[in-house]
Amino acid sequence: MMLYGVMYSCQSLKKREYFKMKMFYIFLILISVNISSDSLYGLENELNETRFNNLIKDIRCPKCTSGSLSSSNAPISEDLKLKIASMIQEGKTDQEIKDYVTSRFGKESLYEPEFNNSTYILWLAPFVVLFLALFIFVSRKKT
Amino acid sequence: MKFLFKSTVLLLPLAFITMFYILLTDEDAYPGSDYKIFDIPKFQLENLENTKLIDNDEIKGSFILNVWASWCITCRVEHPFLMNLKNQGIKIIGLNYKDERSDAIQWLDKYGNPYEIIVHDLKGSLALDLGVTGAPETFLVSNGKVVAHYQGEVNDAIWSNVFLPIIKEKGIF
Repeated sequence: MMLYGVMYSCQSLKKREYFKMKMFYIFLILISVNISSDSLYGLENELNETRFNNLIKDIRCPKCTSGSLSSSNAPISEDLKLKIASMIQEGKTDQEIKDYVTSRFGKESLYEPEFNNSTYILWLAPFVVLFLALFIFVSRKKT
Repeated sequence: MKFLFKSTVLLLPLAFITMFYILLTDEDAYPGSDYKIFDIPKFQLENLENTKLIDNDEIKGSFILNVWASWCITCRVEHPFLMNLKNQGIKIIGLNYKDERSDAIQWLDKYGNPYEIIVHDLKGSLALDLGVTGAPETFLVSNGKVVAHYQGEVNDAIWSNVFLPIIKEKGIF
């Protein structure tokens, strides 16, 4: 009887240990994703991360026909993304980063063209056309 | 008012036809060529043989800067033309782009070396600063300034249409 009891408790201890181990491994698997997760480009805070994500959405991949940096895994895009990340870490402003990219890969690397002497027609033409259309429409009604 | 509307119907297609005519018959356009003038960015990289450091002072004067790699197939196609340029006495500096040293040296031993100096750019840092998107790419440099840039294989047609006019205009070489 006693022997049986010892055997039983041994078994139950083993079972408990086994259960503990099982729980430990399940826990380990569950948190492993969180432990190994890290920012790919080594950006420390969330603000920089958002800035980085916005920038790479707005900058064209130099090698693709039409695709943003964020959508591209071309080697040159990877290089450029790393460079942008390191420039953010250095405390460069968005404008400085955009200037860096456009000076190397041309004005067309920005999806949203800048407003300056050579692009003001591009930006203002739709409003001018709209205004003209409105003007014609109004003047026609009167006659 | 009706006249204005009717004339738009006529003018709009005419405008499109003119635009496409101008764009499609533009003989001078060579896609991949760029004539923006800028200084060679500051750099300090090892040479391919790993015997010394090369910086801006090492590469003075006028030369052709050719971006190449042993993994780049078009570079192999372009190679005989570069040998040809070298035999004409034109100084060519190589920028070995994201390549293994041993592979690059073997490649040169096998096919011949058209380059006077070769800069080893393993991480592509100088290439990124130059605005390189891949290999092969070729820059025309005059006294430390890039005056012409071509993305893709340089051959007789590209050389005589993209580079020679600039060379003649500026009196390089």
